Amino acid sequence: MTAPQEPASLAAGTITAAHPAAQARVSPQADSLFDRREQPLHDFAMQAAAVAAACYQIAARFHQGGTLVVFGTGGPSADAQHVAVEFVHPVIVGKRALPAISLTADIATVTGIAARDGMAAIFSHQLRYLGTSADIALGIDTDGNSSSVLSGLLTARELGMLTIALVGGDGGAIAACPAVGHLLITRSADPRIVRELQVTAYHLLWELVHVFLEQPGVLAPEAGA
Amino acid sequence: MTAPPGSIESLYPFLYQGTTAASGLLDQVRQSTIAKTAEILSLRRAVRDAMAGQLLACAREMARRFAADGRLLAFGNGGSATDAQQLATLFLYPGGTARPLPALSLASDAAVLTALSNDIGVDVVFARQLAAFGGKSDIAVGLSTSGNSENLLRALDEASRRGMLTVGFAGYAGGKMAELDSMDYLFVAPSTSVHRIQEAQTTMGNILWELCQDALSGSAGLETPKEQAHVPRHSR
Repeated sequence: MTAPQEPASLAAGTITAAHPAAQARVSPQADSLFDRREQPLHDFAMQAAAVAAACYQIAARFHQGGTLVVFGTGGPSADAQHVAVEFVHPVIVGKRALPAISLTADIATVTGIAARDGMAAIFSHQLRYLGTSADIALGIDTDGNSSSVLSGLLTARELGMLTIALVGGDGGAIAACPAVGHLLITRSADPRIVRELQVTAYHLLWELVHVFLEQPGVLAPEAGA
Repeated sequence: MTAPPGSIESLYPFLYQGTTAASGLLDQVRQSTIAKTAEILSLRRAVRDAMAGQLLACAREMARRFAADGRLLAFGNGGSATDAQQLATLFLYPGGTARPLPALSLASDAAVLTALSNDIGVDVVFARQLAAFGGKSDIAVGLSTSGNSENLLRALDEASRRGMLTVGFAGYAGGKMAELDSMDYLFVAPSTSVHRIQEAQTTMGNILWELCQDALSGSAGLETPKEQAHVPRHSR
């Protein structure tokens, strides 16, 4: 779904400031770990149009009273909570609080479902009882193959929710799933780098959703329905 | 969304709604996305140039602590609380062939956090936990963007009193964390954006983990070269 659009300011060299080659590299071992982060970030910037499209649709849903519902397993379970707190309690003064919940904070429910119905059901069950057709589902996964996240997105789509997938690696099974309305892939074989890109991605989603919400004229009543 | 997923219409709904205002905003947001991506790229470079040596020295000291049966105890507030959980799970359950290491998040247990907040106050929520189960071989990692959270400052002081290695993450110019005598290593992401700070801190945490794994695997050894030896902040 990535629009093959040239990120103009990257091409223009805005972010290719002179490498501090003159500066002594005191620890090449650590330096090289930083340098490995750069190409995947450039790749992510190529998806700027997809980020903008997702923000627009999310804003339209909020405009109609929808709630953002976020989920992920492993490390992304903490990211799901991070996203929810970003929306509910904005760090930038003056930005309005928006309704968002994570499906990963209630460990009693999560482990209860996992024990009885299996891991694949941990989010889909909660979505069925907590979600409505006006809502937005955001599934976060490191390699795109989590059965829990995939099943959650499928259920969300059945319910009529807007579905957004933020996935790493090569996108996995989630990227191939037709229930995904908006797909943002943070491509890297290193799961740590995937996560760093995903943190940037959801920070951008939070911030840029407000650009549309502050211009409600563009959020037609039917938009995103 | 009624357009089929993946269709041009779903990506560019404005083309079909005929609203030029939306089209202008979409382009503005696309440009913003690229600009903010550029910000994090240059912030990571600044952090690399300022902190790479200290990250390596810290990772080696952490490896020595783990080798002595120490544990990592991570904490923070808000988004930094979930970043603390992330750091703990990265050490405890890294996946692949990496070595699992004992690590706990002090920001995950709602019973403990609400009990301490309600009975005493939010300033003690981490310090009390460290007093209850922190040992001298342990590693305390406090994550903050402002560097000013009172409960982190108290926790790092408590950790230092107990002989723990104290590691802090902050943004801006380090805030009050930069003035703590009890801080062994402070990693500052020099930015005024909370979001960019958290993104750079995520990278530093991941690199710290990777360097720590390297040190424990023996390839890098646990000797600290003299030029990279830690100098306590108060004697700098």
